Amino acid sequence: MSAKVAVLVFPGTNSETETVRICLDVGLDARAVRWSYAENLPSYDAYVLPGGFAYEDRIRAGAIPAHDPMMDAVIEGAQRGKLVLGICNGAQILLEAGLVPGTGPVRKPTAAFTRNAPVPRFVCTHVHVKLAVEPSRCAITAALEREALIPAWAAHGEGRLAASDEHLAEIAAGGHLAFVYAHADGTVDERAVPNGSALGCAGLTNKAGNVLAIMPHPERDAWDFNHPDLRSGTNVLSPSGGAMLFASFAEALKDV
Amino acid sequence: MSERSVAIALKIPDNAAYTAFLALRRLGVRVARVERAQILQFDDGGDAGAAVRRIARNEALFNPNVHELEVLEKNAPRPGEAWIEMLRGEPEAAGGSSLRRYMGWRLYTEGDSPADVATVRAAVEALLCNPAIERAILE
Repeated sequence: MSAKVAVLVFPGTNSETETVRICLDVGLDARAVRWSYAENLPSYDAYVLPGGFAYEDRIRAGAIPAHDPMMDAVIEGAQRGKLVLGICNGAQILLEAGLVPGTGPVRKPTAAFTRNAPVPRFVCTHVHVKLAVEPSRCAITAALEREALIPAWAAHGEGRLAASDEHLAEIAAGGHLAFVYAHADGTVDERAVPNGSALGCAGLTNKAGNVLAIMPHPERDAWDFNHPDLRSGTNVLSPSGGAMLFASFAEALKDV
Repeated sequence: MSERSVAIALKIPDNAAYTAFLALRRLGVRVARVERAQILQFDDGGDAGAAVRRIARNEALFNPNVHELEVLEKNAPRPGEAWIEMLRGEPEAAGGSSLRRYMGWRLYTEGDSPADVATVRAAVEALLCNPAIERAILE
């Protein structure tokens, strides 16, 4: 029996359809769960927070949904070891909820994915993210190869990791830096970072490794028709690189 | 040099302020109403009227169809208010610009009285400020 995965839908979430679709494609029993059905969440085995603009990013991106009753179930589940994956706005929510990097109390954020720099404008560009920890450091990445390179689309105005120097040092030393931006050949430098993110960060995990927050959208490069160098003659519904992360997520849930 | 502060608020219903109000109530912060305003602080060059008129004519800052502009008596939060500022180094922080921006959150309790400092601090710590990127100034 497949693991039951809830894809959370807050008012303003807009990426639930493709997120549910790729989860189904990798064999998970995924379904979208709307904010008015928060009471159903404890029965799920894992949670995915998809992209969008939950609650219209009021106050700050992720601030209001981090305190939504849906997040009570996600936080409780994460503390009990359930897997939680946040993508883009979902990643912002996980930081506001304090689940990642998890270096402070719950709902007392120690970092944020905030306004891009040096120019605080929205970026929409194809990127690659590189696994920056041992795959086993995070349950969701455990089935990936070392230094796996995953294509994705960055589509955000607030994706730059920001924190105090002390907390950035803690993120680096604690193995919380799960993914960094990279070029297509796997090299890492500042030019690969589209948003000025500290440490070149594209994704963070928590201490236990059961929560992963990633800013770019792997689910938007999950089939070949999503990929920017699609060639004619290709089966457009073949899995693309972004599907690797979800396949690894499904692998981590196979014994649930 | 004389510093001047103005508050630019919506005169139509402010959905973000209402969302903050609902969230704060759910978090146990006892507020009856929340107002939000963009606070702009600048050197008025000794002519407050001309400086305020310049702000009011800047369509990127002020739209008379939806905004109201209030010149503040002091360059500090009013009773019941917290000003949230991006930390230095953030792209939206004042930097070398002569214009400082804050998000002003003004809280009211039952009877429409400005909230006390303890209530404002509770709201700031619970929701209104992420200390990783922002700092709060209270009255």
